[in-house]
Amino acid sequence: MKWLELLTVGVATLVAAVTVVVLYSLGVRLTAIAGDRQASTPVWVRYLAYVCFGLCGIAVLFGLYLIIPYFSG
Amino acid sequence: MVALVIALALFFDFTNGFHDTANAMATPIATGAIKPKTAVALAATLNLVGAFLSTEVAKTVSGGIIREGNDGIQITPDIIFAGLMGAILWNMITWLKGLPSSSSHALFGGLIGAAVAGIGFHAVNLESLMQKVILPAIFAPIIAGGVAYVCTRVAYALTSRHDPETGSKLTQKRGGFRTGQIFTSSLVALAHGTNDAQKTMGIITLVLIAAGTQDPGSGPQFWVIGACAFAIAIGTYAGGWRIIRTMGAGLTEVKPAQGFAAESSTASAILASSNLGFALSTTQVASGSVIGSGMGRKGTSVRWGMVGRIALGWLFTLPAAGIVGALTALLVKTGVVGVVIAAVAGTAAVLFMFFYSRNSAVGHHNAVEVEEAGQAVRFAKKKALARARAKAAKANEPKDTQR
Repeated sequence: MKWLELLTVGVATLVAAVTVVVLYSLGVRLTAIAGDRQASTPVWVRYLAYVCFGLCGIAVLFGLYLIIPYFSG
Repeated sequence: MVALVIALALFFDFTNGFHDTANAMATPIATGAIKPKTAVALAATLNLVGAFLSTEVAKTVSGGIIREGNDGIQITPDIIFAGLMGAILWNMITWLKGLPSSSSHALFGGLIGAAVAGIGFHAVNLESLMQKVILPAIFAPIIAGGVAYVCTRVAYALTSRHDPETGSKLTQKRGGFRTGQIFTSSLVALAHGTNDAQKTMGIITLVLIAAGTQDPGSGPQFWVIGACAFAIAIGTYAGGWRIIRTMGAGLTEVKPAQGFAAESSTASAILASSNLGFALSTTQVASGSVIGSGMGRKGTSVRWGMVGRIALGWLFTLPAAGIVGALTALLVKTGVVGVVIAAVAGTAAVLFMFFYSRNSAVGHHNAVEVEEAGQAVRFAKKKALARARAKAAKANEPKDTQR
């Protein structure tokens, strides 16, 4: 049996999904803060949100790079 | 015979496509992230692209479940014909019932049944069967469900906003997840294309090799790739609205953040499994994710009755497709007349199910009730929501509530 492979798949799934979700959620959260009506929030929050979305996009692109054998094989 | 098998294989690809549209597109449709028509068009395009992108896997289709090679037996086009027949019929039945079931398992089941009937029990490699079909079937939903559960919790924890002084809830502003869903669901569709279209390519290549028109060990020819890619794309565009309804609304109510979490889990599970060599079924991963995300959000109920029905469907996939495959194999053994009878009976059954489905049409217009789910996040109308939920609870009495 391939228990080790099973475990690897499980862990890899967890890591990948959590990475994407955490980054995107942070992005959403920061966008929400930046959009608040009380203008006490500094400007960098909005940029940080963009950075989060960007990192999330990079993570996804890296995933794509992995699934497409044309690039990785 | 070869032409017949190729036609059948392409039709299987088509059923595979529309059976699995739901995996990628059910949750974004349910949350209103993408309009139903646009969603299936997007999924179809990405399936097409995905099918062209990856053609590495061709001979791993039957992947040792049926003993091949020198010390085993040769798979003949007859066996493949019978196996495909079983797979297609089972796909149609589950579609009619709106059950998301694994197309690859149907294919495996059909091939196994055909091999047993056509050659004998020794043709099946039990250990390989255990490893490739049964264990993944148990663990795919568990892994995906667990990960989706964690992701949903994380997503909600990170985006829940409270007023620091009063502690009362602020507007949550989770609308961003809906945009995100477009990307995650696209990723799932692409992954599906790279995985599932290849199975058919592999089968057609196998037939061509068996018939002697192609050198053993060579990859799929270009027209095969093209035909399979288009078959799966057209199938996807046709849209399995019944299954989309089950996945998008039948299991649990899906909110954008949940959908996002579920789809990220699905995409990463498929990606991880196809890279690390432990094949998981797309359908089972996607269903597991939806259930997991349903359990992860407070106040969402999972309809366990529906989950049970789906699990039952999975349990029957292999034997049911196997029985049809076996019967077809027996028919085919009798000669040309048997082949004709099998082909006619199969076509008749498919047509019957198609017309039967017309009686209770499920289309893009009524697949999922969108508006409530889509708006619930932006305007947190708690009371209206609670009322709706109470009504829904009354409507489906036999369901357990999960948290």
